[in-house]
Amino acid sequence: MWITALVSGIALGSFYSLIAMGFALIFGVTHAFNLAHGELVVLAGYVAYWLWKGWGLSLIFTFPVAVAALLCLCLILQRLFSLLREPLELNSIVMSFGLAILLQNGMLFAFSGDYRLIRAPALTEGIYVNGLSLTYGQLALVVLSLVAIGLLHLLMHHTYLGKALRATIQDREGAALAGINVRIMGLVAFGIGAVCIGLAGPLYGSIHYLYPAAGLQATLIAVTITIFAGVGRIRGLIVGGWLLGLAESAAVILLGSSWRELVSAVILIGLLVFRPRGILGREEG
Amino acid sequence: MERAAPTKIALPGPDRAIPVLLLLGLVLLPFLARSNGYVLQVFTHALLLATLALAWNILGAGGLVSLGHAAFFGVGAYSSGILSLRPGLSPWLTIPVGGLFGAGLAVMVGLLCRRLRGAYFALATLAFVEIPRVVTDNWDGLTRGSLGLVGLPGLPALTLGPWRVEIGSSASASYNLVLSYALVVVFLVALLWRSNLGLALQAAREEETAAKAVGIHVDRYRLLSLILSAFLTGTSGAIYVHLTRYTVPGLVYSLHFSAVPVIFAMCGGRFTILGPALAALVLYPVDQFLFHPLLPAGHEFLYGLFLILVVLFMPGGFWGALRRSP
Amino acid sequence: MLVWRPTLLCSLLVLLLVSPSALAAPIKIGDIHPLTGRLAKHGLESHQGVIAAVAEVNEAGGVFGRQVELVSRDDQSLPDVAISRAEELCAREKVVGLTGGYEDSLVGAVSEVARKYQVPFVASASLQKELARHGNPFFFRVAGLQGFVEPLCDFLSERLRPQRLAILHAATPGATEFAADLERCLQPRGIPLRLGEKFRPGTPDFVPLIAKLATLPADVIVSGGFFSDHILLVRQLKAQRLSAKAYIGPWGVAYETFLEEMGEDAEYLYGTSAWMPGITLPGTEAASRAFVERCRRLFQREPSSTTMHGYTAARALLAAVEDVLRRGQPLTGANVRQALAGLDLLLPMERLSFDERGDPRSYRHVVVQVQGGRFVVVYPPERATGSAVYPAPPWKQRP
Repeated sequence: MWITALVSGIALGSFYSLIAMGFALIFGVTHAFNLAHGELVVLAGYVAYWLWKGWGLSLIFTFPVAVAALLCLCLILQRLFSLLREPLELNSIVMSFGLAILLQNGMLFAFSGDYRLIRAPALTEGIYVNGLSLTYGQLALVVLSLVAIGLLHLLMHHTYLGKALRATIQDREGAALAGINVRIMGLVAFGIGAVCIGLAGPLYGSIHYLYPAAGLQATLIAVTITIFAGVGRIRGLIVGGWLLGLAESAAVILLGSSWRELVSAVILIGLLVFRPRGILGREEG
Repeated sequence: MERAAPTKIALPGPDRAIPVLLLLGLVLLPFLARSNGYVLQVFTHALLLATLALAWNILGAGGLVSLGHAAFFGVGAYSSGILSLRPGLSPWLTIPVGGLFGAGLAVMVGLLCRRLRGAYFALATLAFVEIPRVVTDNWDGLTRGSLGLVGLPGLPALTLGPWRVEIGSSASASYNLVLSYALVVVFLVALLWRSNLGLALQAAREEETAAKAVGIHVDRYRLLSLILSAFLTGTSGAIYVHLTRYTVPGLVYSLHFSAVPVIFAMCGGRFTILGPALAALVLYPVDQFLFHPLLPAGHEFLYGLFLILVVLFMPGGFWGALRRSP
Repeated sequence: MLVWRPTLLCSLLVLLLVSPSALAAPIKIGDIHPLTGRLAKHGLESHQGVIAAVAEVNEAGGVFGRQVELVSRDDQSLPDVAISRAEELCAREKVVGLTGGYEDSLVGAVSEVARKYQVPFVASASLQKELARHGNPFFFRVAGLQGFVEPLCDFLSERLRPQRLAILHAATPGATEFAADLERCLQPRGIPLRLGEKFRPGTPDFVPLIAKLATLPADVIVSGGFFSDHILLVRQLKAQRLSAKAYIGPWGVAYETFLEEMGEDAEYLYGTSAWMPGITLPGTEAASRAFVERCRRLFQREPSSTTMHGYTAARALLAAVEDVLRRGQPLTGANVRQALAGLDLLLPMERLSFDERGDPRSYRHVVVQVQGGRFVVVYPPERATGSAVYPAPPWKQRP
């Protein structure tokens, strides 16, 4: 039982870190808390569902379309967030709370409240050895998240753009003084974030259910993992994702399925309370 | 300490006529809408939401944004519901007790999150709702868990000498009760902003460090404002549960009851006394009468839109924008 | 001549305008269903059943010559919306009776409004016992939890006799009570519950739960979830190669749409059904066929059990209205309530009469199993059309 739970926790956690990547990057570079992050993931999932159900596209081909759609949307969002005034973090959280409500209701209108699932039978096939099973879906999640994290790590640490992004994350004013266009960096962060969300969405639709209110839980997960990892620590995201996935699996086995939703909330509160210096490493006002 | 001039909490100055006219309209509504119970029901709910917005703003005007007031609402609703069902106490007693339970939860939240500000306090409150919701859902022995509370007593009749008002069975009496409660909340909030607590909170919002430097116990006052806010929110939750006479965890701990006070307070204006209540009394009926028939699914997207617009373009809310233009 | 002709025309016009409304003002029936939101799928089906019942009565000339007007509202699957819609129907539309309500959280909310306005409410699909226990004289329902629990309890204890039974259920009032009642019924019959778990509808990942099931390993799984929970849970059971001897989904399995969605993986799953096209109470075959025909004509689709629940509830309400009019009484909520209490009606789903709490006296499901892509009644014996394949072949032996 524990090995199955371990495998499932790691697979789920890999998926969680995929969800968190876009959020962590956008927050790190722009300091904008996007509470509508989960809604964006669910929206990307709905785009994929619509293509799959309505146009008969196979799951693989829905990814580029979802990414493209999210790129357009995130660039608009970037404009919105750049209009905010100080205190940026608080105002961004309140505005994106409104955005989350707007998106939830928009999806309710467009796709109704039914639970939707993109069926990909290949994902439920798998490898079975000695009563242990690893489905291709779980395998895909682990591989995909490792590849995505790896690529992001390469980008951040081995390109000039990555250097500029990291500089912006560490010290916005300093980066601006050094001649880095912080606004452009914000645009880039939203762009890369959109790609991550566009990848996570269709996966969400094929592994979880899609329903308009699903976004809040995804947002909480993204925030929790980002705060756990610390801003700008790409590799921390995957560790955080795995730990959260494992914690949820353990909660189901030890306490029961009905306690699972408490896990990310309690961890988030704990992180906030016991990391009082704030996740940016400075006192928050 | 001098009052901070530019954004002090104040009754709207030149346009005092609006609240008076509004009050007149609200008092007369049961007579005007006699033939139409639906109108009364919508305004009863709007008034209840107005009390939530007012209560939320006790905290909000002090600079703290809570995205989790549904926790206090739900705890107030559940504690009043359980006490009126099991020991069979009168709702007149259990409703304020519901408020006390809300305040008790606020003490926990406040002590735990006393060092959190701004975005981090908001995040913590957003996550915090899950705790009472999941506990309520799983504590079968006390709360009946997912079965919910069924057959709760409605608001019992009030007997005053020769008069006997059936509140539970009459739409207009329920309306009048919620209206009276809303007026009490307005009165309390107005009183509060003129007290030392109100002044200290405003000072803390403007300049926390300076306020601390002149010896104001900012943390203590913030905790106190959170407790007061939660008490009123819990009381509103308790009234709500006796109006609907039914609840399940998903109903009272819903995102709706966290979001609506934020939206109304931000739209109405966080730095006014009546702004949040006015926003509730305008936006909710507009939503119910105008947008719901047009857009049965997803009509609440307008709330989200309003919130975005207000944060971006009208930091003082509609009321603030209205007052600035002479 | 020139003078009275317009007068005649006018009076004729007035007569035309007045007479139908004066003699036969339409009877207003309120209908509240979740047409949007998480329960929209079943809500819409039940709603169509109500439409079918009203259409049937109106096609036959109405109730005592008066047409029936159905005023429908959507509660968005939310109890607070259900309350305000019900208030609107009672206070503004002044309906003589309410029907609808798919899940207990919605039914409970509407029933309290019904009590407040003294308008009878006949719920189409409601389970929770508690709802009927609070002496709400205006609450009736055509379904009840015992209709699921009794046949399943008998079937499990007489036929399957599982050694390691697991009951999973969604965190909704009806499903929670179902799980508790089934356990209480099986315990004295020597069938202990080895694992009971509650999950929230829409739980994303059942794998840790399946891991728990695999340690027993559970031989019979009863899953009190809804349509989409079964789809995800059965797929993940297959992915994890957990082969239970029987998988029973009291709700959501016995639907044609479930077979379409699940394909071959639906094979050998059990469900329960109160009615289905082809599975009807003895003696109601003609009425059942007429109902199927009418639904095909009106909605271009096959009716489901949920459609039949809506139809049954609306038929009960209409029969009570007719009763009141036949006795020459004024059409008030109290009189319709009185008529409902004395109702005795043979319908395809059940012989409908209400006990003093408003519960149906003889609502009982049959247990069905998917065999060869069709539903076969396997219990009770007097209505069985085949025998159960038990244990179901393990996943790896299936194509």
